[in-house]
Amino acid sequence: MSCTRLTLAVLGAALAAPATTTAQGYPTAPPVAGPVRPMPFPPFQEARLSNGIRLILVESAKQPVVSLSLSFAAGHAYDPEGREGLAGMVASLLTKGAGNRTAEQVSATIEGVGGTLSASTGPDFLTIGAYVLAPQAELGFSLMADAVIRPTFAQTEVELYRTQALSGLQLEQSDPAALGDRFMARTLYGSHPYARRPTSAAARAITRDEIVAYQQRMLRPGGALLVVAGALTLPEARRMAEASFAGWTGTAPVAAAFPAPPARSSRDILLVHRAGSVQANILVGNITFPPTSPQQYAARVANQVLGGGSDSRLFAILREEKGWTYGAYSGLNRSRGVGSFVATAEVRNEVADSSLREILHQMERLTTEPIPTPALEAALGALVGRFPLTVETVQQVAGQVSNSILLGLPADYLSTYRTRLAAVTAAQALEGAKAAIRPATAAIIVVGDAKVLLGGLAEIGPVRVVGTDGTEVPADQLMSASVDGPVLDLSKVVASRDSFAVMVQGNAMGSQVSEFSAAAGGFLYSDDTRIPLAGVEQSTEVVMAANGSAMSVTQRGKVQGNETSVVLTVTNGRATGKAVGPQPPAGAFGTVEIDSPVPSGTLDDNTVTAIVGALPWSANASWSLSMLSSGSGEVRQIQLAVTGTETITVPAGSFEVYRAEMSGGPSPVTLYVTVAAPHYVVKIAPVGAPIEIVLVKRTTP
Amino acid sequence: MPRRFLLLVTLLTLPGTAALAQEPARVNYETYALPNGLKVVLSPDPTVQVVTVNVWYDVGSRNEKPGLTGFAHLFEHMMFQGSANVGKGEHFQLIERAGGSMNGSTANDRTNYYQTLPSNRLNLGLWLEADRMRSLAVTDSNLNNQREAVKEERRLRIDNQPYVGAFQQAIVSIYDSATCFAYGHETIGSMVDLNAASTADVKAFFDLYYAPNNAVLTLTGDFAPAEAKALIQQYFGSIPRGQTPPPVECNQPFNGGERRLRVPDAKATLPAVAVLYRTPPAPSADTPAIELLSSILGAGESSRLNVALVRDSRAAVAVQALQLGDQRGPGALVALGIANQGVSADSVEKLLRAEIARVSTEGVTAEELAKAKNTYRSTQIGSRQTTMGVAEALQTANMIYGNLEAVNTRFAPYMQVTLEDIRRVARTYLQANNSVMVLIAPPEVTP
Repeated sequence: MSCTRLTLAVLGAALAAPATTTAQGYPTAPPVAGPVRPMPFPPFQEARLSNGIRLILVESAKQPVVSLSLSFAAGHAYDPEGREGLAGMVASLLTKGAGNRTAEQVSATIEGVGGTLSASTGPDFLTIGAYVLAPQAELGFSLMADAVIRPTFAQTEVELYRTQALSGLQLEQSDPAALGDRFMARTLYGSHPYARRPTSAAARAITRDEIVAYQQRMLRPGGALLVVAGALTLPEARRMAEASFAGWTGTAPVAAAFPAPPARSSRDILLVHRAGSVQANILVGNITFPPTSPQQYAARVANQVLGGGSDSRLFAILREEKGWTYGAYSGLNRSRGVGSFVATAEVRNEVADSSLREILHQMERLTTEPIPTPALEAALGALVGRFPLTVETVQQVAGQVSNSILLGLPADYLSTYRTRLAAVTAAQALEGAKAAIRPATAAIIVVGDAKVLLGGLAEIGPVRVVGTDGTEVPADQLMSASVDGPVLDLSKVVASRDSFAVMVQGNAMGSQVSEFSAAAGGFLYSDDTRIPLAGVEQSTEVVMAANGSAMSVTQRGKVQGNETSVVLTVTNGRATGKAVGPQPPAGAFGTVEIDSPVPSGTLDDNTVTAIVGALPWSANASWSLSMLSSGSGEVRQIQLAVTGTETITVPAGSFEVYRAEMSGGPSPVTLYVTVAAPHYVVKIAPVGAPIEIVLVKRTTP
Repeated sequence: MPRRFLLLVTLLTLPGTAALAQEPARVNYETYALPNGLKVVLSPDPTVQVVTVNVWYDVGSRNEKPGLTGFAHLFEHMMFQGSANVGKGEHFQLIERAGGSMNGSTANDRTNYYQTLPSNRLNLGLWLEADRMRSLAVTDSNLNNQREAVKEERRLRIDNQPYVGAFQQAIVSIYDSATCFAYGHETIGSMVDLNAASTADVKAFFDLYYAPNNAVLTLTGDFAPAEAKALIQQYFGSIPRGQTPPPVECNQPFNGGERRLRVPDAKATLPAVAVLYRTPPAPSADTPAIELLSSILGAGESSRLNVALVRDSRAAVAVQALQLGDQRGPGALVALGIANQGVSADSVEKLLRAEIARVSTEGVTAEELAKAKNTYRSTQIGSRQTTMGVAEALQTANMIYGNLEAVNTRFAPYMQVTLEDIRRVARTYLQANNSVMVLIAPPEVTP
């Protein structure tokens, strides 16, 4: 029996416990694996074209489709300094007019036959790809060849792309994942070109001449790789390729060596301030090794245990056990040069610091403790076992072949991959972890609302705060809520007792009575809510400072027979206390300790509607407010924006009102506030639900 | 260059793009039902070494009532939390350790659960589906834990992203929530309802909808039918039949007048406009023409909207048209555009409407129709390349289109759509009085 078969069979048997079952009875344990049929890596063929292009063909007649992929060593690592995004621009413009076709004609031609043609860049390579039904294979080759050999780069197309690129960069400012990637690349790679990402300044500066020069210098047949997959034979593929690329000659320039990435001697946190974020995007990373490193197999096994999927430590702990996130993972990125390791998670704000601590702890564990045998076998089962899924389609096979060639991996990489992985021991995995994962000097990027996150993160390590454009934000600016919050003038709020009816689909289902009055140098808010059919009774009391911010919150009640309570105080910028009710995280309807940083001026969520009178209302007003959800201790930046005026009728009367949308909280809400001063709320409507809370009576002293 | 002139040039220089002759290969299958009502569909393929085990439950957000929204989606999470013989979180582990991949998803009409495994683990996939169908662990702690995961999912996918939350609201806004609450609320549900959900509510939902008589099990890929049938009998045979769930009601009037909404989006940096037109349920005879029209309008660089808004007028940084369908209730054809820097949402809306109105008056060209047919053909062929793609095609045919053979027979009507059909559906459905316009706006600057 070959080594591979033995290892795989042993793995298969080891992973399944015998089921206890009578013949044909229902098994009470997972059934044992069937025998594994040996499966070599699917075959592929190779040829060299007369102009130097290396051709790979993965042939399959199963589906009448052909995919083509042509790669050049011309990725964005080759962008000149000050022209970051040039390679990407060249790639996008290749398909916008070539030969005797305009951009419209190219797209009409390829889309007309139901195919696709597109080009893009990664760090190392520029790749153009086409996908067509088999009878149109020649057209696919011809369009692709035109695009790389004789692109037009019309000035109008250049300008159109420039406009789109600038808009795209503006959109990216609001994308936390893209921001995280950008800052991590810069931090890890420093002056190494893998650090580069497109910038607006570069997008404005790039000229057509530079685009033409890049294409002519960098897109040459010598050194390029063409991978064809689908319903073509090798003679057919060769003939079409030779015909399409006829007359095209030249070899790509030899790449200059890249400078080494910066060595790191300590761990620090870069906090990218994205106001109003309801989650924190956490990235923890370090540089690893070149793709040919012998440590790669052991490192891959170790990474699988840490964060390779849902059967990994990060997912199991941060999501399944603690409920802090929808997903936490880690990965090894390979490039032609030196690669990287990054662990990521998107977590709710108030557990950002705890999540980061846990990620670092798990990284440390992995690099100091050998992996126990069951976890090792589970990781190998996944990594080795998934092979048939990775070669289900001919495009997948082509992608793997292409990748191994472009990364410069040895010729036997694909055929020996599984065997080498299956042979990794716990001791080797530990060495692989140490080579690939470096928690002590990791780069940490957190994208989120710095006002809410800074306090907790600062207790883990030194924190630098920057805006989404990279400019420094002084820390003291963050801890005062007035940076972009409104000036609340509480003297405009009139003491009152307001009685509301809770209407569900037009039927009165309950009531809420609230009172607001001056008290002890500040204010006192209290309310009493009863919704019998939903089994809700709740009383709340909030002591507020003179500026409206919450000083203490006490709440007692019952939700469907279960007692709920909240007792918390806010002192020195921190909310501490206890909440009992339907709560995060690790357990049941139980008690949770609250301990979260709270920017000054933060309002308790129960009091927001009571203090609307303190805001400067107008037809297009909008504000950002810091709000504490006392039931969970979460602090959010909510947005309140006037969207119009109307006249509405509620039991208390007819009113001309501002309609204002409140977003960024647990769910969006529409508030209807009197236009006339003193302003107060006459209706509250959660968005998307058939519920309205309407004013029945208001009494003022 | 005016667009009409460009089109003329294109027509003159293009080799004829007639609709091509190929069809997607026939999907062969056999089907039967167990006495407990579980419908089984088998479609073997010995040319691969993987198998997909795919279950559709006939339950989605359309089955939810006011006050109990988000249950179908919450349920999709609960189904991975363990059953009588599977520990909490063990489903993920067992599949991954076997080298498989898995997931589930919730839509308006159905919830699906699927895993693709190396062929020698067919029994594992089947057994896991059976164990959770017969004995899912609905406990307080599972409920609380997954409620938090759903909240994080909402934050990740919706609240923390520009446009997504606003777009979810837009989709829901085409329905009258009083007469078609089934489709008139968001699948992810309201946090208020989710927070109020009790374990008893959730157990009742499970008992009613997660029963074999309300499920369809489809197997594709590398398996021997005789062996599969024996395993299915062994694992699923003893699960008792459940009640028949109540029918879903949706009375959605069309052409009730134009609705206009403004949704502020604090995360958006550029304004966006979405115009949604109500379209009939998927099995309607108009569906092929509507889908091809949607493709002509907004799929690809040479689509009408892309040429008019992105390329010619530079009003939008991106546009798209898509058909939200594949459900038994009404759907929508959506045209949306993100405005370029310095362009008002108003301009984008006017341009979208103008392009759509032109289709009603002038129709589309033979070239455009041929392109849409070829794109559809190519997509259908492409989707049959994976065992998962074939499984989903069979499930959709069965549950949404009402018969399994539709997986093969649905193709021809698309190829038979005429230019007059396109014009007719544009005039019937793409009218302002059948539309909802949603403006997604970054917040205005504070005075």
